[in-house]
Amino acid sequence: MIVAQIFAVIIFVGMFIMIVLDKIERHYVTLGSGLLTLIVVFGICMRNGTAILNTLAVKDFFTRDFWYQVEESESSGINWATIVFIAGMMLMVEGMAKSGFFRWLCMKIAFLVKCKTVPIFITFTIMAAVLSMFIDSITVIMFLAAVTVELAQLLKFNPVPMILSEIFCANLGGSATMCGDPPNIIIGTSLGFSFFDFLLNTGLAAGISLIVSVIFLYFAFRKELVTEKGAEVDMSKFPKPSEAITNKKDFLISTIIFGCAVILLVTHSTTHLTVASIGLFIGIVTLIAAGKHALELLKKVDYKTLVFFIGLFMVVSGLEETEMLDKIAMFIEKICGGDVKLMIVIILWVSAIASAFVDNIPFAATMVPVIKNLAAASGTPISTLAWTLAIGTDIGGSATPIGASANVVGTSVAAKNGHPISWGRYCKKLAPATVIVLVISTVYLFVRYV
Amino acid sequence: MSQIIISVGREFGSGGRVIAEKLAERFDLPLYDRHLITEIAEKMGMTVEQVEKYNEAPKMKIISRRVNGYSNSIEDNIAEMQFDIIDDKAKSGESFVVVGRCSETKLRKYPALVSLFILGDMDQKIKRVMEVYELSEEDAKKFITKKDKKRKRYHNYHCQGKWGDSRLYDLSVNSSRLGIDKTVDMLEDYIKARIEAMK
Repeated sequence: MIVAQIFAVIIFVGMFIMIVLDKIERHYVTLGSGLLTLIVVFGICMRNGTAILNTLAVKDFFTRDFWYQVEESESSGINWATIVFIAGMMLMVEGMAKSGFFRWLCMKIAFLVKCKTVPIFITFTIMAAVLSMFIDSITVIMFLAAVTVELAQLLKFNPVPMILSEIFCANLGGSATMCGDPPNIIIGTSLGFSFFDFLLNTGLAAGISLIVSVIFLYFAFRKELVTEKGAEVDMSKFPKPSEAITNKKDFLISTIIFGCAVILLVTHSTTHLTVASIGLFIGIVTLIAAGKHALELLKKVDYKTLVFFIGLFMVVSGLEETEMLDKIAMFIEKICGGDVKLMIVIILWVSAIASAFVDNIPFAATMVPVIKNLAAASGTPISTLAWTLAIGTDIGGSATPIGASANVVGTSVAAKNGHPISWGRYCKKLAPATVIVLVISTVYLFVRYV
Repeated sequence: MSQIIISVGREFGSGGRVIAEKLAERFDLPLYDRHLITEIAEKMGMTVEQVEKYNEAPKMKIISRRVNGYSNSIEDNIAEMQFDIIDDKAKSGESFVVVGRCSETKLRKYPALVSLFILGDMDQKIKRVMEVYELSEEDAKKFITKKDKKRKRYHNYHCQGKWGDSRLYDLSVNSSRLGIDKTVDMLEDYIKARIEAMK
C-alpha cells in the first residue's frame, strides 16, 4: 500500500506542477496522469480491479440515482454528473452566444441606465454576479468585458476598474449556487446537495458579500469612474441593443431554454431530477432547436475542459483509494482537536489562499474526500464543511489575476483592447476585497453553523 | 511584383537585423521590427519603452495562466497582438520584411513567405556586440547568452518547432562565413530565385 500511496502522491504532485508550468495542455496532463493512476497505482501496485472500476464509475449511468434522486447520495471516482451537466450547459451557452443574447443584455442594460458611468458600474457588476449564478463565469466575463471596453471607448472612461469589479462579482455570484462555479458542482454532486441547498447557504453569504463588495469597489474606484472632461454622451452614436441579435427566432428560443434551465435548477430538489438529467435535457433541447446548426454547436463544445475533468477525477481517486486523503483529514482533525471554529478557519482560509494561486478545480476535487473523512472523524456536519470549502475555493480565486478563469479572461480582453492589467494593478484593489469577503464569510459561517 | 514576405530569425550579434534592413532596402520593402512595437504602444496607450519591456520576452510561467486561448500575461497579449498585426499585413497582400516574432511559423501558411535564419560564430558575435554596445569581451558573451536564451524561450513557447532548428526555415546562414554584405548578396540571389519560382 505504501508504494501505491507514494506513486499516487507523485502522480498528483507531478500533475499540479505540469498544470502550472503550462508546457503541455492541461487536459493532456490530467488525462495522462489519470491513466498513469489506473495503470501504476491500481494495476501494478495494488492489483485491484475493483478500484479501477470504482474510479471509472461507468455503472453510475445505469443507476436510477444518477438521473432521478429521491434521497441524497454521495459519489466517488469520475464524477460523470459534473461532466454531463457541464457539457449540457456548454451547449446552451453556445446557443445563447450565437443568437446574440449576452451582447443584447449588456447593451440593453447600458441603455436603460442612459449610459451613465456609475449606474453602468453598479448594474454591470450585479449582472456579472447574477449571470454567473447560472452560467460559467468565463462566458459572462468574455461578453461583459468586451461590451465594457466598447462602452468605455464611446463614453471615454477607463474600463479597467469596471472590468476588475465585474470579475470580482462574477466569482462572487458563482459561489452562490451549485452550478455557478465548477468546485460547487463537484461538491454538490459528490456530496448530494441540491441547487437550493447552495442558494440558502453559500447564496446568502454571497448576497451579503455582494452588497459590501459593490460598495467597497465603488469607493475604491470612484476616482477612476468618471468620463473625460467635456465628453458628452451622444446616445445616437451607440449601437442599438436590437442590433446585437443575430437571429430573432434563435434569440427567443435560447432565452426560453435558459429560462427552463433556471427553473429546472431551482426546482430540482422538488422534482428530484439530478443535475445530470437537467444538463442532458438542456443539451438535447438546444441541439434540437439548433436544427441544421446542431453539428456546429457540438463542435464548439469545449471538450478539452471535459477531458480535463475526467483525468482529474481519476488522479484524485488514486489518492482516495490509497487512503492518502484520510491521512490529510486525520491531520486536520488532529490540529483542530474537535474545534469546529478552527476547522472552518483552516478549511476556508487554506482553500482561499491555495485557490488564489492554483486552479481551484483540482483543489476542490481533492478536498471533497478530505472533508468527507473529516466530517466522519470529527462528527461535524458535512454540510458545514462543504459550504466552507465552496466559499473558500470560489472566493479565494478572486485575489490574483491567475486565481480563477474569469480573471484570466477579463484581464486578457482588457489587454487586447489596449488596457494591460499588471499583477500590481489587479491585486491592489481586489486582494483587499477578497480578504473583506473572506472575513465576512468567516463570521457568517461561525454565526450560522457553530 | 507578386507578394513577398521575408522573415528573418536571428541569433543575437549575428547581424540578422542589419541583414534584414539591407534586404528591405534592396527589395524596396517596409521592415517591421521596432515599428510593430510603436504600433502596439499607440493602440495600448503605453509608451514604447513600456511595450519594449514585454517585447519578445517569455512570460513568467508561475504568475501566468491561460484559459481557452486567453492569457493574463501582458507578454502573451503583446506577442499575440504582434502575430495578429503581421498576419493582417500578410493577409492584405502586403509585401514586407519582418524580424523575429516567430514569423517563420506564424506566417507559414502564406506561399509568399521566405524564411531565413541568421546565425554566427561566437567569436564573431562577441566582436560585433563589443563594438555596437561598447562592452568588454566577458560582458558581451554574457549579453549574447542572455538575449539568445530569452529569444529561444519566447519562440519555443509560442511555436511548435525549436528556435534556430534548420528544419523550420527555408535557409539558415552563418553570417560569419561571408560577412554581412556578401551574405546579403547571396540572400538577395536566393530571394530573387524564389520570386521567380513563385511566378
